[in-house]
Amino acid sequence: MYKLLNPSPKAIDMGFTEPNMVLRIANNAFIPFNPDNTDYQAYLKWVAEGNTPLPADEVKA
Amino acid sequence: MAYGTVQADVIGTSVAGSNLGAGDASMLKNRIINGAMVIDQRNSGASVTNTTSSIYCVDRWFIQGSVSSKFSAQQTTTAPAGFVNSWKFTSLSAYTPSGSDYFQAIQAIEGYNIADLGWGTANAKTVTLSFQVYSSLTGTFGGGLTNSAFNRSYPFNFTISSANTWQQVSITIAGDTTGTWATDNSAGIQVRINLGVGSTYAGTANSWQAGGYIAPTGLTQFVGTNGATFYITGVQLEVGSSATGFEYRQYGQELALCQRYFEQWNGGSQYAPMGMGQIGNGNGFTYAAVPLVYKRTTPTVSLSSLAGGTIFSAYGTNASGGSFPWSGNITVDTSMTGNLGIDLQSALGNSTAGGAGTCVYVILRANQYIQFSAEL
Repeated sequence: MYKLLNPSPKAIDMGFTEPNMVLRIANNAFIPFNPDNTDYQAYLKWVAEGNTPLPADEVKA
Repeated sequence: MAYGTVQADVIGTSVAGSNLGAGDASMLKNRIINGAMVIDQRNSGASVTNTTSSIYCVDRWFIQGSVSSKFSAQQTTTAPAGFVNSWKFTSLSAYTPSGSDYFQAIQAIEGYNIADLGWGTANAKTVTLSFQVYSSLTGTFGGGLTNSAFNRSYPFNFTISSANTWQQVSITIAGDTTGTWATDNSAGIQVRINLGVGSTYAGTANSWQAGGYIAPTGLTQFVGTNGATFYITGVQLEVGSSATGFEYRQYGQELALCQRYFEQWNGGSQYAPMGMGQIGNGNGFTYAAVPLVYKRTTPTVSLSSLAGGTIFSAYGTNASGGSFPWSGNITVDTSMTGNLGIDLQSALGNSTAGGAGTCVYVILRANQYIQFSAEL
């Protein structure tokens, strides 16, 4: 299972507005949204199979 | 030596027309990383059991199965002369693979490291795969070389004629002149060791084929014998039509090669210093974690725990001269990631901390770890 992660307050200051990382809950793995990252590729495959990640927590500005 | 005299040593090669580094010249000729199975950052020799996902065992090598819990894998000290480690597989049941079943061990070689082979072109170079094996079973075993798209395959086989005896295996493979073989930071060649395969992924032995095949047909099914064991070490893939001596690299070199893809920081039995951080506007702090080796791509960062008070400690001195040790959970700043470093931060405050801008000494607590993974 995965959970989307919102940008941190610092990231918001830098202009990020959308989740750009996902947490793989099973092993506390922070996976960047980078197409070369094979964990991200596995996450995309998991989503393509019809799965949905847990939503991100509310953004704290 | 008189002035004007030039003396030189020559490194010869037994492969006609090859360049320095091929043949017997031992200069990074082996495209396999951790072929002697000496590096095991994740498991330190502990056994892992296959699932339907890829599970890394010894560094750079992972296992896969279509059905979970059919075999285990671990680094061992059982090894032939000249080696100190091997990779051991144990069959956990008597399972007969069929259809689309597969059980295998794989190393994916980065495209940059095979770009000179010219695969997918008319100038494709011949390579030789060699290794040593030892098994409780006798029979015909095998594996395959494939591209990352899994649509070009070269299944190969070899025979183990004596049980529980180390033997050398050598397979020479003409380079593939067709297909697409990555030459960038994605997977170039995938070297597969078969432990059981159904008909879907079994091809014709010793020839290039379109399609995805893990191994040839008609092999001994390792996972079919409960308790069977299979060891492998000294894996080498080199340019040329003959196997040369295994390329022994210094431990530090091998570790650094592995760390391009995976790096683990351990707290050890006592606390391990990670570096200096800085308190932000709140009482939490930010710490830039820079892995020791530049990664293949932006890594996944895994923490041994997200629970407060377990993974790190931080110490500093506030404006009044008082010390303020505290510990708490840590997260990854989603904006601050890259191949070079990761921004770790703690939101957990400490009422006696020194305020924004104060430096803190960050320590990974005992028995905790941080992993950086950019595996293929």
